[in-house]
Amino acid sequence: MRTKTAILIAALAALHLALLCAAFIAPYDPVAQNRELPYAPPTRLHLHDAAGWHLRLFVYRWTLGDEGYLEDKSESFPVHLLTTGSSYEFLGIFDTTRHLFGVAPPASIALFGTDGFGRDEFSRVLYGGQISVAAGIAATLIALLAGALCGVIAGYYGNWTDQSLMAGTELFLSLPWLYFLLGVRAFLPLHVSPVRTFFLLTCVIGLIGWARPARLVRGIVLSSRTRNYVLAARSFGASDLHVIREHILPEILGVLMTQATVLVPRYIAAEVTLSFFGLGVNEPVASWGNMLSTLQQYSVLVSYAWLLAPVGALIITSVIYALLADVVQSRLEFPHPGN
Amino acid sequence: MKVTTSLALLVCLLAGECLAAGPTPQKPNPGEELFQAAQVSGHYGGQLTIGGRAEPKTFNPVIAADAVSREMIGRLMADLIEINRGSQQTEPALTKSWKTSADGRVFTLQLRKGIRFSDGHPFDADDVLFSFAVYMDENVDSPQRDLLIIDGKPLTVTKIDQFTVRFTLPRAYAAAERLFDGLAMLPRHLLEKPYRQGKFVQSWSLNASTNEVAGLGPFRLKRYVPGERVVLERNPYYWKVDSHNDRLPYLDELTFLFVGTEDAQVMRFEAGATNMISRLSAENYSLLNRERNRTGAQLSDLGPSLEYNFVVFNQNDLSSKKLDAIARKQKWFRDLKFRQAISAAIDRDAIVRLVYGTRGTALWGNVGPGNKLWVNTAIPHPQASPATARQLLKSAGFSWNPSGQLLDSSGALVEFSIITSSSNTQRMKMATLLQDDLSHLGMQVHIVPLEFRALVDRVFQSFDYDAAIMGLGGGDADPNPEMNVWTTKGTSHLWHLNEAQPETAWEGEIDRLMQQQMVTIDYTKRKQLYDRVQQLISENLPFIFLATPNVLAAADSRVGNFHPAILDPYTLWNADELYIRRPTENAGVR
Amino acid sequence: MRYLGRTLLRAILLLAGISILCFLFTEMAPGSFFDELRLNPQVSPETIANLRSRYGLDQPLIVRYGRWVKSAARADFGYSIAYNAPVAPLLWGRAKNTLLLTATGMLLTWLISLPLGVWLAARRGRMLDQAFSIASSFVVSIPEVVIAVALLAIVVRWRLLPLSAGPLHGEGISLRTHVQDLATRMLLPVTILVFVESAIIVRHVRASVLEVLGTPFVQAAHSFGICRARVLFRHVLPAAASPAISLFGFSLAGLVSGSLLIEVICGWPGLGPLILEATLSRDLYLVIGGIMLSALFMVGGNLIADLMLLAADPRIRTGALDAD
Repeated sequence: MRTKTAILIAALAALHLALLCAAFIAPYDPVAQNRELPYAPPTRLHLHDAAGWHLRLFVYRWTLGDEGYLEDKSESFPVHLLTTGSSYEFLGIFDTTRHLFGVAPPASIALFGTDGFGRDEFSRVLYGGQISVAAGIAATLIALLAGALCGVIAGYYGNWTDQSLMAGTELFLSLPWLYFLLGVRAFLPLHVSPVRTFFLLTCVIGLIGWARPARLVRGIVLSSRTRNYVLAARSFGASDLHVIREHILPEILGVLMTQATVLVPRYIAAEVTLSFFGLGVNEPVASWGNMLSTLQQYSVLVSYAWLLAPVGALIITSVIYALLADVVQSRLEFPHPGN
Repeated sequence: MKVTTSLALLVCLLAGECLAAGPTPQKPNPGEELFQAAQVSGHYGGQLTIGGRAEPKTFNPVIAADAVSREMIGRLMADLIEINRGSQQTEPALTKSWKTSADGRVFTLQLRKGIRFSDGHPFDADDVLFSFAVYMDENVDSPQRDLLIIDGKPLTVTKIDQFTVRFTLPRAYAAAERLFDGLAMLPRHLLEKPYRQGKFVQSWSLNASTNEVAGLGPFRLKRYVPGERVVLERNPYYWKVDSHNDRLPYLDELTFLFVGTEDAQVMRFEAGATNMISRLSAENYSLLNRERNRTGAQLSDLGPSLEYNFVVFNQNDLSSKKLDAIARKQKWFRDLKFRQAISAAIDRDAIVRLVYGTRGTALWGNVGPGNKLWVNTAIPHPQASPATARQLLKSAGFSWNPSGQLLDSSGALVEFSIITSSSNTQRMKMATLLQDDLSHLGMQVHIVPLEFRALVDRVFQSFDYDAAIMGLGGGDADPNPEMNVWTTKGTSHLWHLNEAQPETAWEGEIDRLMQQQMVTIDYTKRKQLYDRVQQLISENLPFIFLATPNVLAAADSRVGNFHPAILDPYTLWNADELYIRRPTENAGVR
Repeated sequence: MRYLGRTLLRAILLLAGISILCFLFTEMAPGSFFDELRLNPQVSPETIANLRSRYGLDQPLIVRYGRWVKSAARADFGYSIAYNAPVAPLLWGRAKNTLLLTATGMLLTWLISLPLGVWLAARRGRMLDQAFSIASSFVVSIPEVVIAVALLAIVVRWRLLPLSAGPLHGEGISLRTHVQDLATRMLLPVTILVFVESAIIVRHVRASVLEVLGTPFVQAAHSFGICRARVLFRHVLPAAASPAISLFGFSLAGLVSGSLLIEVICGWPGLGPLILEATLSRDLYLVIGGIMLSALFMVGGNLIADLMLLAADPRIRTGALDAD
């Protein structure tokens, strides 16, 4: 158990560190187009050529032939560490041009291939993860917080509070959200900066998503507030707040954790729908959501499998979070409150 | 499991085969004056399935507004004069011949004698009169009504005898016979009663039973399964015969399957559930192309289409609206040099390569090389040149700040947004390429995808946009349908709608030229006038033209007489000539 | 009984409120049905204006809402602008297809998920549990869109299934062929549905059963020697039922609306594609009718879930809560 937790935490930390330092790890600017190399497959790394084995990894250039891309073996380009490349602001603190790795132009190193405009997919996945993971987590937090609050109040106080709050959730779940999104878009100014888009995204998704957790939580609270220890605590004069904090909250944490593992990836992918209405992160800025929307095309899915990289990244992120949630949940089980 | 599945499939197919034998075509009668398609041959039998983007909404040709309904209805109905999509010329259809008066205002049409509707009822001039009365009825509000109103006055239809009709236009109208294509002739014996009762608009909805719907097209309605498919069967009374005097169509059944997006259609085509695809994107075409040796599919690249994609800048009069931010930017948009600079900076070659996978053509005017009859080949096609763009901007008073950003003459940053439809992947890609090109000039361009109707609302109604990437055209090769785009009072005069008077000399000149070509009957003279219009457009850039896709279509190996065309409906225009090859025949991979 | 009465009243008020908000929201969205005609340079704005007023689209919101309510009372839910036909029969015809799909999916999902969740909780920590944990995280993290398209692509490339055989409601086909045909067509969409839903439900069930398994009274029961099965069924499951019941309520509530994406991708002729296209083309009354139908199911589903919760947890029933 210990080692498993340790591994998971390390993986999570590594993931977030990678995303945070995306600008350093990514060899290229995510919006830099290379119109000569659209849909290029991932660059192959070699250690061995006609002259024998080398210590340093090297790559060849891709050239476009009749049947697709071919490696141009006439010239090899070694992969260098800590190279100079395009300039960027490191963590918003200082400008630098150092990147973790790179090759000398005119060759390029695209570990995950390129997209339809020749932009490096690896760089886009890293930069995109910044926005998407942050938006997904923030939206989940909003939804779960609002949902838990409503659910607890509804379940604890019962009667009309319960009825009206639950009616509220049903209202929310039934409404035509597509129309609402259209209306929201119409009210907004035409251009919204990426930062504002991010906040907007999280608010919209969180706003729409609070209803389900609310109902789940309310169900549990309804049952648990009749437990003996709760009744006992109340008869001892404990305030509502105390009862809620000490006895009810631990009950609902399990559900909340499980919901969180489901919601984070779902909210990251929800950006695909939002982009359709113009509420997503707009081109050319990268986000996993808008990279996913190109995958809805059958021909792309079938012909350019490397474009599934954001799906892979999403899966890895979600799996790590889910496994961690499992661990946290198992920690919460023992000891159980109430005796 | 697999065995049972294939057995089930086999049973279905066999059952389907027995059911699919359509009504036998009637032998040609001596009294019938039929159209002989002299080059056409094939054999009877078989069923063709084609996928559609959505479900048709009605069987009523007069009120149908969406493209899917019109495509299906077109197979059930026939017109007096049709435009042969292959040759782009008009040819007699229900009319066997017609005479035009010297001033081009009066058309006397001789209808074919002895023809019957798909339910056997005879067709004559009364049906024609009835049909036109319905089209022009103001209470029916047919979208096609406006075609028949020239200069605010409707054309008049008179019956000369049982098989002769005369049309009188309020004034001479060039290529007037092209108007008749798309105006389906309605069966008076079925529709007159609902029309007199005021229930015409509700007739022939999707709930209509098969004996309520009849037409003169190659097929008639067999069955509609809600949400899923429409099945048409052969019209045994169809008025065309092939080279052996056998009555067309060859197909027993034609099925429209509602499949959804183009990707879903390609998947179904690959799985063998459909036999034809009407329009393909370049990526799907390449996908199918790679497999053609294995599948034997017939793929057609017909060259550039008649559509044109463009960037339009908002030059509307915003004084009555509270759109100050946009109004300030309009001083750039109205500057011809600004638009010329943008046009010079756009890498059209990249658009053709990356958006259309080389299956497209760059455009510098509204008429592309696909329209062989009307294209003005003298218009210059300059290559992308950021240097020229910079010079133009400099001479217009723009300058650059130390970070390389573009500033206008008053020192404000040049920043604007381009809206485009989020459902159109090609235009979204064009927007991304454009944004990159213009960023090299120092312009800050933001791409704003919008849902389609939200886009239309902004461009036509609220004018709350800076620039938009849109597409128009593709309806017909003739210049007349474009009147509303280029004339000042036209409803599609997008860059400056609701303009009372032409604001610039060139717009005034275009007005005059377009009016003139509309009443000029001689093709050479019309071409000269329209050439000058194209020249003015490409010089003054109300739209900055980008590119046009090629028309790409596909059919599986068994479809015979597959001759797609660049005019809508791309593959079904000759549905009456299509046939299914027998397995023993040589499939003839193209 | 009072509870039931209160809930029914609430349901009616809710439906009324939803209808008002629906009209408000549809008013907010820019564009109208006839905008597609604007792009056709050959149609005049007068024709478009006439069409708009014919369908009452230019009347103020209150007037339109009032007329809709009046006709809804007569069970006439308006006209679809696109189809020129009444909304209710249109919706009902498609709803039947959707219900077929979702009801089957729901049945299968719960049949699989409940036992699986309980079993995994009993086996926690072991290989199978760990494996499932990872696998379900996998499934839960891939967006539904990608799963559906990917599965469809696999089916097409490797020709695993015929994508559409005969018509869904054909004539002249024997019952056996019809059923087999139906089953083949339903296989893919139902698989996707079950796949995606089970992953979530199993996780929830497992989590809540685990929680209860750790409580002292269960440990006490075990130490008393009561056999494991009895403990499981008589003591653990009812206590763990609450989130599962809420989820069951969600399943019921989503019977007509939950499979929209899958129907659109797999080409199933249900409510999903109809409502989606109606929304995008602003076919007002069809959209509103569709939403009211889903709202009906939602309210009904939640009502049933509430009743089940009441039944499962006697403490809620006895009103021990209404005090103070």
